[in-house]
Amino acid sequence: MEGLAGIEKVIALIGGVVVFVFAIIGLRGEWHKNGLDDNVTKVLLGLMALGCVLVWLAAFGVLPRGGGGVA
Amino acid sequence: MAVSVAHGHDAGHGDHGGHDDVIYNETRDMRLMGFVLFLVSDVVLFSSYIFAYIYLRNSVTPVWPPIVGGHQLPRLDTAFAAVNSVVLFGSGVTMHYALENWKHANKPRYNLFMWLTILLGLAFLGGQAYEYAHAQIGGWSGNTFGASFFTLTGMHGGHVFVGVCFLFALWLQTQRGVYNEHRFFGLTAGTLYWHFVDVIWVVLFFLFYLW
Repeated sequence: MEGLAGIEKVIALIGGVVVFVFAIIGLRGEWHKNGLDDNVTKVLLGLMALGCVLVWLAAFGVLPRGGGGVA
Repeated sequence: MAVSVAHGHDAGHGDHGGHDDVIYNETRDMRLMGFVLFLVSDVVLFSSYIFAYIYLRNSVTPVWPPIVGGHQLPRLDTAFAAVNSVVLFGSGVTMHYALENWKHANKPRYNLFMWLTILLGLAFLGGQAYEYAHAQIGGWSGNTFGASFFTLTGMHGGHVFVGVCFLFALWLQTQRGVYNEHRFFGLTAGTLYWHFVDVIWVVLFFLFYLW
């Protein structure tokens, strides 16, 4: 598929930015805590922010590359 | 819930700052370690299926999506999946803020974020059902692509469904005074589980839609 189409592209992009920002704010709040649950939360929030970056890449059409048509 | 097993109710009664708190903190650490190990075991479960998918993709067929009946199967709908992913990631963030508001004894905002989390989780499941109904990749038993996709995303969807039930049970417990702002292990476990489910989806989103 070549990028995203129309309204879905806009929703994914805006939603991805909003979720990314709040995930980073949450991550900053956890940063100085050192419990096991806090450390696991840091890792998981960071990976969730990475997920938002993947959504951006999909929204901008950077990924996926090649392959068949669209289902 | 496991929360109530070791200590009756997490909120406890009396003797705060004394022997009761020492016992609570010790059992909390053990329960937390047990729960993290449970999540690690779930990582192993998903990893085995994910590596099976990677193996199939790289060694069984020369092109991906595979060719079935002389025609290459289409890619999945990345646009829709991206929106659905944002919905699930958003629920992870609202769950984080639900827990933070509980810790700060802000019950109205806790209720708001908890219900947002549950509703976003249900919306994700609805989106997944829609995608299952419209994905033209040959069903579960037709080819390696369909088999991998429906097995892995189905297993993940099952986890999301269990998570939604888990969160609803936690919400009920908070309404019944099982937890307070000092003792809330169940909420911690629920938050970790929900974040875990989100992160598994990050991997699946990349593997099935972006790779």
